[in-house]
Amino acid sequence: MIDFVNYFINGALVGLLYALIAMGFVVIYRASKVFNFAQGELVVFGGFIVWWMVASLGLPLSIGIPLAFVAAALFGLLVERVFFSRLAGESVFAMVMVTIGLLILIRGLILVLFGPQVRSFPIIFPLQPVIIGEILIPRSLLIGGAITVIVGFGLSWFFNRTRAGLRMTAVAEDHQVALSMGISVKRSIAFAWILGAVLSTLGAIIFLSGKSLNFLASDIGLAALPVALLAGFEAIAGVLLAGLIVGIIQGLVTAYLDPIVGGAIGTVFPFIIMLLILFIRPTGMFGWKTIERV
Amino acid sequence: MTISKHIKIAGAAAALGLLTISAPASAQTTYNVASLADFTGPYADVMKDLIGARRPVIDWWNAEVGKKIGVKLGIKDYDHRYDAAQVASLWPGIKAELNPIIVLGVGGPDVAALQGRLPSDKIPMVMSTAAYGFAWKPDPWIFNQRPTYSHEAAAFFDWLRQKRGGSGPLKVAIISSEASPAYVDQHKGVQRYAADNPDKVEVVEVVFTEVQPTDLTTQVNRVTRKGAEVIMIMTNTAAVVATKRALQSLGKQVPIIMSSHNGLAESGRAIGDVKQMEGDYEVYAMAAPTDAKTPGREFFEMLQSKYGLKAKWTVSAVQGLGQALIAMRAIEAAAKKVGPDKITGEAIREALLSTTISADDTFKILGNTKFSNEGPFPTQGLVASIATIKDGKYMEAAAGVPVPSINKW
Repeated sequence: MIDFVNYFINGALVGLLYALIAMGFVVIYRASKVFNFAQGELVVFGGFIVWWMVASLGLPLSIGIPLAFVAAALFGLLVERVFFSRLAGESVFAMVMVTIGLLILIRGLILVLFGPQVRSFPIIFPLQPVIIGEILIPRSLLIGGAITVIVGFGLSWFFNRTRAGLRMTAVAEDHQVALSMGISVKRSIAFAWILGAVLSTLGAIIFLSGKSLNFLASDIGLAALPVALLAGFEAIAGVLLAGLIVGIIQGLVTAYLDPIVGGAIGTVFPFIIMLLILFIRPTGMFGWKTIERV
Repeated sequence: MTISKHIKIAGAAAALGLLTISAPASAQTTYNVASLADFTGPYADVMKDLIGARRPVIDWWNAEVGKKIGVKLGIKDYDHRYDAAQVASLWPGIKAELNPIIVLGVGGPDVAALQGRLPSDKIPMVMSTAAYGFAWKPDPWIFNQRPTYSHEAAAFFDWLRQKRGGSGPLKVAIISSEASPAYVDQHKGVQRYAADNPDKVEVVEVVFTEVQPTDLTTQVNRVTRKGAEVIMIMTNTAAVVATKRALQSLGKQVPIIMSSHNGLAESGRAIGDVKQMEGDYEVYAMAAPTDAKTPGREFFEMLQSKYGLKAKWTVSAVQGLGQALIAMRAIEAAAKKVGPDKITGEAIREALLSTTISADDTFKILGNTKFSNEGPFPTQGLVASIATIKDGKYMEAAAGVPVPSINKW
């Protein structure tokens, strides 16, 4: 029974990490209707910025991490200015294709700027797990989970309760309508990319604390995809619940089914859930239902 | 006929004359070697030393061996990104551009993409890595200087069990991944060895993770509770770091056994300090790059001083040296058999199958190497080296450790 509790808690916390990465997908999608294939690469880029500030330049965490967030925000703005501001009004398909190009570009940039070496990521959170009786909780995931919940509810409040957030929501509904209402679509999209890059850097800090860093870490973007799909690409707070569901199922399947099957079915299982969702409810649990009048 | 036409004809005749005159001076026949590398994929971090060691060996061979026997080799690197699809797409271009007589490969994707093509193209490939069970088939065109990862791991397990003493089997946990067929192959081979030798090795669990694990504390806690005496990780450094962090956070000291591509130095760098790998091991059927003045080390230093070798003395460099030397010795043997101007891929393969490449021929980087038609790697007389970190220093824990035989899996 105690093993079950351990797998359950660990799965839930990993799921919250996926949820944080998935929020990057969601904020960009909400403003631009673009599914960002380069989300995992944004995580890696954010990770390398943190590594550069803290491990390479030797800045203390209290200075290096805020500076890394600023650098990530500037990178997000740069991406929007160079690629997406020029595509305003173009088809969504064109923008999605650009995100695939961005994926390749960021990988190349990382190799050119930081080299192929595996880097030691700084220890941001203490390594010692929280131990309650026989329950063992990884501290970085626990702190990360708490941050994710705060960020999730904070962003949900921002998008649903503030003027700036509601403007972005209007942009997400329809660019032309938003423009006709005097809302700057370009500014909203730029803000979404800034937010996406900052969230990815936060995700990198939680994911990589005390571990190693190279571009293989971008696979977390793929792992977070089922979470975004389960929640629906417009639902920020819904991502938290979806993250918990995917994480817990993955954790339990990995613990109990992997040894029976003799394979990594736990890694595949979230994608099975993803396919089922796409069949049954393509908009996800909390995605917007669009009524089109012909 | 115009004057300009006369001049052109005279010029052409003069050029032909010059060529004819210079022909006897360059009696060497030139052949090409295709060098596959991972510059932008998951093993790009270890590639600098591996590739850096290949080219100087060829320069040395051209100057000191090829010149005497009338053979000159050219080499060109191709980035395969550790991706079988990329290898398959590169291969027709490599053949057309280079017409190589031999290929130097680096990993599973090369084997997966080319094992069906090379027999019909009649070009052999020599690998730097250990072999794979899925490619353990007769009539090979791919040759590994080392046995499979599972063979190397089994050699280590036998050694550690003897060192531990007692009669029970050594309890082994494996951290693996399904991200690559090579990773799956590694643990399948060990499982076969354990199944056939229950008195020697017991696999307590195979844990599957992503290539960059999120957190392994729960999994590592579980395998230590099952009594794992050693954890085998031959996938990548990210998995080693995640496992090490889990062990550190749990306050457990279970040694990790790694391979050449994710060994002590690489994993130590990835975790921040090689001292954190204290008491862990790496195993491979070739020489360990310690500070000792071995023939391999002397050869390496000679290449540094005379042939511009820039690589560091690392496991990856040793892999590159061994691989290139096997290829060079096979070309030498083929030149002796068929003549320096008639070397083909087929002749090199025949030479590889019929010649014993002695340990001295590879400056003791490898043991005596005798390939056969039974499979892609030598099956007899193999020995492994085991290295460790002791008191914060990289050192050889054992050399000449016998590699046991394993039934095919």
